[in-house]
Amino acid sequence: MQHFIIFIFSIFFVLVLSFFNRKAVVDEAQKTLRVYGYSSFTSKLGPGFDLKKKFELTCNCRVEFVEAADSGVLLQRIKLEGATLGADLVIGLDQYDLQKALSEINWRKLDFSQLDIDEIIRPALSNSYFVPFDWGVIAFVGRKEDPLPAPKSLKDLTKSIYKNKIALMDPRTSSPGMQFLSWVYDSMGKDEGEKYLEQIMNQAHSFSPSWSTAYGFFSKRQVSYVLSYLTSPLYHQLIEHNNSIEAFTFTEKHPIQFEFAGIPLDCKECTLAEEFINLMLSDEGQKIIMNKNFMFPVIKSAQVGTPFEPLSKFNHLAQFKIPSVSDVDFLIKSWTSIRRGEKNAK
Amino acid sequence: MLVSFLDSVKYVGHLVPISFLRIFLGYYYLQSAMLKYTSDFLNKPKIAETISEFLPLSQAPEWYKVIITAQMIPQWQILAFLITGFEFAIAISYLIGYVVRPVAVLGVLLSLNMIFIMGPAYEDLNKTFLALHLVMAWIGAGRCLGVDYYFYKRRRGIWW
Repeated sequence: MQHFIIFIFSIFFVLVLSFFNRKAVVDEAQKTLRVYGYSSFTSKLGPGFDLKKKFELTCNCRVEFVEAADSGVLLQRIKLEGATLGADLVIGLDQYDLQKALSEINWRKLDFSQLDIDEIIRPALSNSYFVPFDWGVIAFVGRKEDPLPAPKSLKDLTKSIYKNKIALMDPRTSSPGMQFLSWVYDSMGKDEGEKYLEQIMNQAHSFSPSWSTAYGFFSKRQVSYVLSYLTSPLYHQLIEHNNSIEAFTFTEKHPIQFEFAGIPLDCKECTLAEEFINLMLSDEGQKIIMNKNFMFPVIKSAQVGTPFEPLSKFNHLAQFKIPSVSDVDFLIKSWTSIRRGEKNAK
Repeated sequence: MLVSFLDSVKYVGHLVPISFLRIFLGYYYLQSAMLKYTSDFLNKPKIAETISEFLPLSQAPEWYKVIITAQMIPQWQILAFLITGFEFAIAISYLIGYVVRPVAVLGVLLSLNMIFIMGPAYEDLNKTFLALHLVMAWIGAGRCLGVDYYFYKRRRGIWW
């Protein structure tokens, strides 16, 4: 036993000594800003990479992205890791996450009321803890050359000609999926909405866990229509020089999605986090986000003279609201029971 | 000591295959510990991030999840040091065959914890390691091609 104890102590003694003596892999003197975000934002193709490069040029710090598959996982991690790890900035929550985020985590107050923003953005600034950095209009997207007549309303999607031709997303894991669910209930009411969802369950090609999976079905022509954004055709026009993709205007008012950033109260580099948000909301930052995320910028000047400008004038929009936790719970429970076929069984 | 090291092949030669497994396992743990030491595992809260991500999926009992959340995640640096230190200890012990039995018990505890905290991708691997450590402890795998044989001959007892 004595041998064992001495052996273990020696190992740890040497390990601790060598750890403190070795040249640090990372320069500890340099501050690190830990930014939690979803993967398409933080990846090399997303706006996060360019924003990080730009920020690191002036901040004398390092930006470290911590990725999570979706906002639910993101919140779970921040809640568990708390003050110890110090998430300094959280990016990518949408309006359906805000109340949950507020109820589970303490956030730092932010004041961006003086921003030069479009009137449409104003309601999203009504809370004191999260600031929107981009927004989009939910719409169905299809191809101009498609032989089928373009759908004109949510009701049209249940027609037999569209059977297995629509890619949707699961609202439990996908933000646009949640937007669709809310769109249905807001425009049709509870009872009719449930009936509609029962119909759409058999009608849709798939309910993917994420927007990118569903959009992949559309890109590979496995489906004719996909739930996406009004700005999605712009990606094809600007990047692929393909003008055949279009977004459809429905008779129901289209929902708006905002993406928010917030600073947890436990942040360690709070000032850097605020500076990073300032960069995101600067003209240059907004252009990076607009051109990489293909979403509308919140700052007026950023889209002037760009192909995004005419699209942002789209005014057939549903009223923006921040749903309560119970509203979101209702939507999820309702979806789950319809998906399982429990409503049909009644 | 060198004589008894070679003598061990003569007297407990049937344990040579187990010694091979022990040395291989030691080499694996050495690589794993070196990787942790040379990367930023000790500087950055990688282990806490992994635990936070996979804890909801873990099959660990609730009381253990509470300990993980309340103690391990906040004290991630101590946890990272303990994991790296124990891996070095297992590596050196298995490679030279010294105090293999108690270290294997340590390995059992380490593997058991890793099953719960490292996520589903490492669950099967850690279950296999758990069984291997148990075998090492049971047999006293340091007696063949190891320093333990020297002490075993002189002191006997359950530790060798």
